[in-house]
Amino acid sequence: MRFDLKINSVLREVDVPPDMPVLWVLRDILGLTGTKYGCGVAQCGACTVHLDGQPVRACLLTVAAAAGHDILTIEAVEHTETGAKVQQAWLDEEVIQCGYCQSGQIMAATALLQQTPQPTDADIDEAMAGNICRCGTYVRIRKAIHKAASHDA
Amino acid sequence: MMSLRSLKHVLLGAVAVTLSFYSGMALADSAPGTQADTRPELIKRGEYLFRAADCAACHVAPKGGSLTGGRSFVLPFGTVFAVNITPDKQTGIGNYTDAEWLKMLREGVGRGGKHLYPVMPYTAYTLLSDADALAIKAYLFSVAPENAPAPQNRLHFPFNQRWGMIVWNWLNNPNKRFQPDTAQSEQWNRGAYLTEALGHCSQCHTPRTITYGLSSKAYAGAVQVGWRAYNLTSDKQHGLGAWTDEQLTSYLSTGKASGKGAASGPMAEAVEHGLRYMTQADIAAMVTYLRSLPPIAEGPVAQAMPPEADHALSDVARRGQGLFAQACAGCHLPDGRGRQSEWAALAGAHSVSDPAADNLVQVLRNGTALETGQGRVFMPGFSKAYTEEELAAIASYVLAHFGNTQTDIKPSAFKN
Repeated sequence: MRFDLKINSVLREVDVPPDMPVLWVLRDILGLTGTKYGCGVAQCGACTVHLDGQPVRACLLTVAAAAGHDILTIEAVEHTETGAKVQQAWLDEEVIQCGYCQSGQIMAATALLQQTPQPTDADIDEAMAGNICRCGTYVRIRKAIHKAASHDA
Repeated sequence: MMSLRSLKHVLLGAVAVTLSFYSGMALADSAPGTQADTRPELIKRGEYLFRAADCAACHVAPKGGSLTGGRSFVLPFGTVFAVNITPDKQTGIGNYTDAEWLKMLREGVGRGGKHLYPVMPYTAYTLLSDADALAIKAYLFSVAPENAPAPQNRLHFPFNQRWGMIVWNWLNNPNKRFQPDTAQSEQWNRGAYLTEALGHCSQCHTPRTITYGLSSKAYAGAVQVGWRAYNLTSDKQHGLGAWTDEQLTSYLSTGKASGKGAASGPMAEAVEHGLRYMTQADIAAMVTYLRSLPPIAEGPVAQAMPPEADHALSDVARRGQGLFAQACAGCHLPDGRGRQSEWAALAGAHSVSDPAADNLVQVLRNGTALETGQGRVFMPGFSKAYTEEELAAIASYVLAHFGNTQTDIKPSAFKN
């Protein structure tokens, strides 16, 4: 089936089965491999993208459900004001170790700050709970989110 | 004195009847098996009815796959195992004649006079028509026979005396076929037949009497094998009175309803093995019938998620709040809507405003799973990764935050 997907402000037409996850479309069809495959069952957060500004798991988001909505991926998050601040804070704090989960972490953190510009630790816990990092960079993630938030102040 | 004497008569009569059953056993064993009816349309109808009667939920092997039984049911009077219902002649149902099949399914008396225990819902199947009961048999005879003996039941005395079931049946099994109520619509009657006879919903949802028969408080809710089967009556607070038709339809056919949570545990099994295969017409008929159940104000009240829930958190619940953020919010989301899955939604679920927390404890301890049209949805058990105190704190927080129910669940609820 043909679908028009708006990805990073660009309209992309794809011809795929309607239940294909957006993650497959991004990585295998459009070559946008910044979004990672982790678990495939929305348990780890590695594939987080924004759908109309909301953080969603691309591995369980079907093409049919995403068509007609704005999809934002790690490749273009720097073009948003908050996303740019988050990425700079990530560099400043040297958050990343292996990096595999980090595009998902950055997407989740950006969505949090867009909705809650000055998050408390509890807000961060809640918003970031579904994004797992096996290197254990959680402390630096929290610090970087606070740092990105303070740029707003 | 009179009543004792009459009880004695009943018991003596029971022994006599049992003896005659067992003397008939040799005959039954030597009788030739009937030819299985192999008409494809009958087998197809039988398969649908087999689903509607939810046979697989109990008789599928615990490791999945075939209908060889083996699942254990731990009951107040001992442990009973589901039997092999493949047409194997040694260990399954392969020798059943039509007459024996009907007697087993509707009177609880198996081949050779062996009495069934009412874990097998024959007090509901007793309402089945001959045609439907035999269609189910035709379907079961069409599956591949597998040799798999059921484990021995482990029942305490006197419940291990199968003849005792004669008395029980006399008290508790009406042994009558379904009679349509002519004052009601055809759809209502279809729904009644599906709910009462095939779906045997009352077996879990109606409280039991002291003799383990069904009480007169039909569908007021009851606890079965550690899980609460909720009140299904039309009561608005305790039952289904506040559900829309759309919510009920969705819950029955997919195991989830927007704003009402998802089925878990045994109800998830009922959806997985039975209800999700039902036609929309049959689901609609069940909804019509369930709607008509007279209200009974019993059991936990279902509460909506409060807008500002967390002001009044107890210390225990506050500890649970932090744990929930780390361990649960990833899938369930703090607002209880479920992350991209209505099966993960908690807000509005009956189980999160039940102060006894029966099902919440079960799910946290053992997890739950449901096969759906969109693949398998599941929650793992958390008892290996978290202490009893932590699980109790999470349960207390979930009750307060999503169910407006302020109560501290005791860690002992999570003891094995």
